[in-house]
Amino acid sequence: MDFTFTEDQLLFQESVRDFLVNEVTPERIRRCWESGTGRDPELWGQLAELGLTGMTVPEAFGGLGMSEVDFVLLAQECGYVALPEPLVHTVLVAVPMLAELGGALAAEWLPKIASGEALVVVGLEENQLVEDAHVADLLLLQQGDSLFAASRDQVDLRYNESVDPSRKLYAVTVSSGATEVARAADAQALIARALNRGALGSAAQALGLAQRMVEISVQYTSERQQFGQAIGAFQAVKHHMANVAVRLEYAKAPVYRAAYELAVSGERSGRAVSHAKLVACEAANLAAKNCIQVHGAMGYTWEVDLHIFMKKAWALANTWGDAGFHKSRVADDIFADNAALGAGATFA
Amino acid sequence: MKLSFSAEDEQFRAEVAGWLQDNLKGEFARLRYRGGPGDEHTYPEERKVWEQKLAEGGWTCVGWPKEYGGKGCSIEQQVIFFEEYARAGAPGRVGHIGEGLAGPTIIAFGTEAQKQKYLPGIVAGTELWCQGYSEPGAGSDLANVKTKARFDEVRGKWVLNGQKVWTSLAHESDYCFVIARTDPESVAHRGLGFFLVKMDQPGIEIRPIEQITGTSEFNEVFFDDAECDAGDIVGAPGDGWKVAMGLLGFERGVSTLGQQMQFQNELDDIVALARENGAADISDIRQRIARAHAELKIMRYNAMRMLSGHSVSDGSLQKEALIYKLFWASWHRSLGELAMDVMGPECEILEGAPYELSRLQAMYLFVRSDTIYGGTNQIQRNIIAERGLGMPKEPRPALK
Repeated sequence: MDFTFTEDQLLFQESVRDFLVNEVTPERIRRCWESGTGRDPELWGQLAELGLTGMTVPEAFGGLGMSEVDFVLLAQECGYVALPEPLVHTVLVAVPMLAELGGALAAEWLPKIASGEALVVVGLEENQLVEDAHVADLLLLQQGDSLFAASRDQVDLRYNESVDPSRKLYAVTVSSGATEVARAADAQALIARALNRGALGSAAQALGLAQRMVEISVQYTSERQQFGQAIGAFQAVKHHMANVAVRLEYAKAPVYRAAYELAVSGERSGRAVSHAKLVACEAANLAAKNCIQVHGAMGYTWEVDLHIFMKKAWALANTWGDAGFHKSRVADDIFADNAALGAGATFA
Repeated sequence: MKLSFSAEDEQFRAEVAGWLQDNLKGEFARLRYRGGPGDEHTYPEERKVWEQKLAEGGWTCVGWPKEYGGKGCSIEQQVIFFEEYARAGAPGRVGHIGEGLAGPTIIAFGTEAQKQKYLPGIVAGTELWCQGYSEPGAGSDLANVKTKARFDEVRGKWVLNGQKVWTSLAHESDYCFVIARTDPESVAHRGLGFFLVKMDQPGIEIRPIEQITGTSEFNEVFFDDAECDAGDIVGAPGDGWKVAMGLLGFERGVSTLGQQMQFQNELDDIVALARENGAADISDIRQRIARAHAELKIMRYNAMRMLSGHSVSDGSLQKEALIYKLFWASWHRSLGELAMDVMGPECEILEGAPYELSRLQAMYLFVRSDTIYGGTNQIQRNIIAERGLGMPKEPRPALK
């Protein structure tokens, strides 16, 4: 048993974090909010140059051929900066689905994703709305028991404004000419795995979002003076932060565990993923609540950056399966006959 | 990352399970599932014999290095040992304070003579330990210890005077590790010593404290010219706080694995009851059970993540360990509430007179102490915020 990341994985995380913290500043995110598409093609190019868009693209198609375990720490860093670009979606959802579909579709699109030339997005019924459909070159869409591939001119898009101004969400209807790429059981399996990977991506980002909110708040409460001292010295303030720290630290192991499960088995990863999604999003939502509280009235302003992270956490908690969906999945698993729960089932 | 056990580890699992199956029977059969939280007072004599039975089989101190009489088990094997111990329903360990706390502290900080004098009795399951930290005036403010230790040149011994309180299993113990003030002029954490004290002597009086369960597991311990040998101080006079804090690293290291499996048994009881009485069909109960299960998994995964990344003996566990107490204590308290909600109206009715609680009822009452002993939730949050997050310390009145 080894529950740790390798030196290489940790070094990669560190260098990606350095890049993201320098490049994806709150100011740049706010500029994105004001831009036409809400996207930042220059930033996407930089991400591709670092090899990040091709992380999970097989080496034969020009990618790095890495796994969910390799990417999970990077997804955390994407959350840490509230990255508006759909990198986590690309790496964890779109690329693996294309690779599983294989054939001409994979051969055409995977190299373009790795090089940053193309964006492919996935729309599942569990999610209702598709992020970044307006700038996608190819859409993989669930329609009942089938999966279709459509180019942007084969779909009709209706924009929905998100509470997180970084998210660009569209209701998508297939108009004509889309190709059915999988059906029935095959499609169901692809959809189930995509849902699990999307949920893992949200969970990992939630960890980073919570971490960032904590750091912002520790700094603020260490500086802000009232009653002649830093407010962070008051127990009533620091206990809010301690509660978040515990939730956050303890959400990490289930997220890493879920990444491992997806990387090695894929099939029986549902419970591990649901567990991870629930606890990571809870940690992020608790962070949002308590961090706003310790900021006082400043936390309620548009000017303070806290809400950038708070709103992404809020949105992610309800994508790729909301809390009710994931709770039911865990509960059903526990109450199943012959559920593997106790001694000897540590990694079941 | 590799989240599975090797074939050798699974072989070890079969060995543990086989031994327990062969030995946890006959005179020991009635000990099954006894002696856990809220039930520590039951079958003390029989459980002492069980300790020695375990020792005969080589199953005490499994994580200790071999040179000190341990089994030198890897983290994986310790995980497996505790899993199988719980699965067999083997009883709560009366030796756990010696094995989990006193022994590792002596190994880390003790002299060669102390190791030879004290470790064999712990390994053999013949000598039990208790912990002398809290005092009437030193609860949350643990460093405010008033018990004094003075070296008597004539007798060549340390002489202790003062009082400890909330001392678990003192009445069953052979030894107590005691923090006491060696420098009478000192205050707070400076000027303390860490002593290994024999309980059976004229200078020590033990008075049980009756708990809300109606039973007595902890005690007041009075020291009135109690003695220990010159060589029974761990570290130098003045090092007591450092040693006492080092010990907490062990408390939150591998010894948590056994505790988590006890929790698993309690949760299994609750799930079984919920299936039996229909509470499992109530969606609120279902979801709370699912949450309890998920959070217990978190504790186990996190323990393994910490243990596979760090060495327990070098103290590097401490930062992550800061958060464990608050999490498990709050979890366990909620589990007690969940257990009573699953029982429904039945939860009021005792097993019998006088005041005979069922396992779950005893657990529900016991968990009220979890968020208090060993540092209250409020103290834990202060520590997490100040040491973990680096938030400003609360100003304290100047020490006199």
